[in-house]
Amino acid sequence: MLNKIVTDVLVVGGGGAGFKAAIDICQKGLKATLLSKGPLSRSGATPMAGADYTLDGESLSKFNGLNGDPNDSPEKMFNDILTQGWFLNNQKLIEQYINLAPVCLRELLEWGIKIKLSDERMVFTSSIEIMNAVYNKAKSANVEMFEDVLLLELLVIDGKVVGGVGLDFKSGELIYFSAKAVVIATGGWHKAFWPNTGMRDLTGDGIAMAYRAGADLGNMEFITFCNNVLLHPPIWKGSIAPYVLSLFVGGSLTNRHGENILEKYDPYLVEKGTKTEWNKSFISYITEKEVKEGKGLSHGGVHYSRGNVSWEKVEAAASLLFPEWKYRGINFSEWASKLKDNQPVEVGPAVEYFEGGILVNEHLETSLDGLYAAGECTLGPFGANRVFSAITEIFVHGTTAGINAAKYAKEVDRLKVDPKKLSAIKNRIEAPLYKTNGLHPAQIRMKIQKYAHKYLGPIRNKQGLEEFLNILDKIKQEMPYMATIDKKRTYNKEWLEILELENIVQLLNISARSALLRTESRGVHYREDYPYTDNNNWLLESITRRINSDFKTCWRPLTITTAMPPTGVAPYLNFMKQMMQSHSDTKGKH
Amino acid sequence: MLNRENSIRVKVFRYDPNYDKEPHYQTYVVPYEEGMSVMNALDYIYYNMDSTLAFYDHAGCYLGICYRCTAKVNGKPSLMCQNKVTEDILVEPLEKRKIIRDLVVEPKKR
Repeated sequence: MLNKIVTDVLVVGGGGAGFKAAIDICQKGLKATLLSKGPLSRSGATPMAGADYTLDGESLSKFNGLNGDPNDSPEKMFNDILTQGWFLNNQKLIEQYINLAPVCLRELLEWGIKIKLSDERMVFTSSIEIMNAVYNKAKSANVEMFEDVLLLELLVIDGKVVGGVGLDFKSGELIYFSAKAVVIATGGWHKAFWPNTGMRDLTGDGIAMAYRAGADLGNMEFITFCNNVLLHPPIWKGSIAPYVLSLFVGGSLTNRHGENILEKYDPYLVEKGTKTEWNKSFISYITEKEVKEGKGLSHGGVHYSRGNVSWEKVEAAASLLFPEWKYRGINFSEWASKLKDNQPVEVGPAVEYFEGGILVNEHLETSLDGLYAAGECTLGPFGANRVFSAITEIFVHGTTAGINAAKYAKEVDRLKVDPKKLSAIKNRIEAPLYKTNGLHPAQIRMKIQKYAHKYLGPIRNKQGLEEFLNILDKIKQEMPYMATIDKKRTYNKEWLEILELENIVQLLNISARSALLRTESRGVHYREDYPYTDNNNWLLESITRRINSDFKTCWRPLTITTAMPPTGVAPYLNFMKQMMQSHSDTKGKH
Repeated sequence: MLNRENSIRVKVFRYDPNYDKEPHYQTYVVPYEEGMSVMNALDYIYYNMDSTLAFYDHAGCYLGICYRCTAKVNGKPSLMCQNKVTEDILVEPLEKRKIIRDLVVEPKKR
């Protein structure tokens, strides 16, 4: 039978949210077992972040030696997260984010992270420092940690989640984890798209297995694309370096005809949409529009250069962001010479963050008993568009999910899983290894990634989404016939690819169907055929629930605590401008 | 047609201690693209030529951040994802590490 590991709480995911949850569970006197799909503390989306940590300026100003605008307030920050999210946010989750942000920052500082700079509402640190800090803390808190181990399926008895079946990817052995509660912290599903800005391990495993186990998902149509991501040369594809640089210094964006793209838009939109983190939605939309209109370059992007910005200003910013034009193992000196000569590089939008995910309440409980979720894999506080930091989100969520999962685990008995159930899961997981003939996954994944970017990217329409759903349906029908050429168990890439594809196809399917049903434009969801933000009909969350082998998407009224959303219908960019104008008087990039 | 101008030869170390008696080398001819990395060449092999080739990429960043793709390229340890290909290459696992399969080795103990 399967190897067995017994724990109190199983934490699935080795990014910041998983580590924080596991640490807090151990501090409550329970055993926490953390699974990291990739290298410990170098896995998930967290190590790829810049990284900024946001909190209200009033609280930030009380930290020794840090900036922070004392005239800011939690109320102002609440207003800003809500308008940046186009009013689709769960207001209870916004309040939680604001309340816990200063508490979690204080803890991180105690754990030894260093701050590079701070502004009105943000501290800028290094994601590597964050990961090293949580890793060291987890070690001293006695978190049981597994590297290169992922969870493939949750185990449910009478509606209660009691563990799962995982894979040690290096050895190819399956492991049965017996737990009293499970925290899913597996981040997004970046690998469904290419290019993307995430790690290669981000395939939505946690969201998909929660869905299969019966948990509800929400707002899956909202996907943020980071703008100005390098598309060429291949060695740098997916790097957000021009995004970071442009946020600090600005620069010029031109299409294949050499036309200045930013000049085509309202100067107010351009000002806010380049100098603040509104840039992700605004620039991704306007640059993708150029590409859709046939004015893009050979790799599907546009040109970014420093334009009128002086080389001295660029150099000064770079010396802070990537000293000597290096960032860990990446060397941008060739790009530096191009910038100096005012030569362009090709950039475009690349998938970066998923606003939707597993449906949670303010206790980070899902719709299943014993199942908690934290971080990007949840439908979190950001509504239709995220501007504030996701690094803050992982610590706020990790704390809450960890504490509540521990409390639950203390109260329940361990349930025994029927060995027949384990064998059935084992057989399903191993099936691609035993089939002699079948379809091979590698090419199929590449095809899916290409179509996902094209049809579920920053600009969508009915025809494209329907075509995409047809493609996905065909692949879904082919899934049971997939087989590996490679029959060895050790580090078998094809085997994992098939298991991941199932998750990717499922989540793309749900996302595309929700995007098709939402016949309006809001936040990062822009519909060419419905270019209006419709506050009379669409201030609703999309909720998806599995029903046998299919799913149903229905609509849930907003969770409101204090702020009533607006009414009326407005063209997309007009409403975006209104939302930018509703920003409080607190300055900064958020 | 692939020729010397538009292609490179990628010679790769192959070994699975659970199945193979001893290591061997396998050479692939891969289309050359300006600005490609060793990792890009291996990706090409996996997708188009040989899906049994093992290199650490089920997780990892491909942008020089996680350092997990370190291997020997033409005899020197380097990050495969940030090593730019300009000529034929020989790719081997890091020395003094337990080989899991092909280019995948046990990580350093922390």
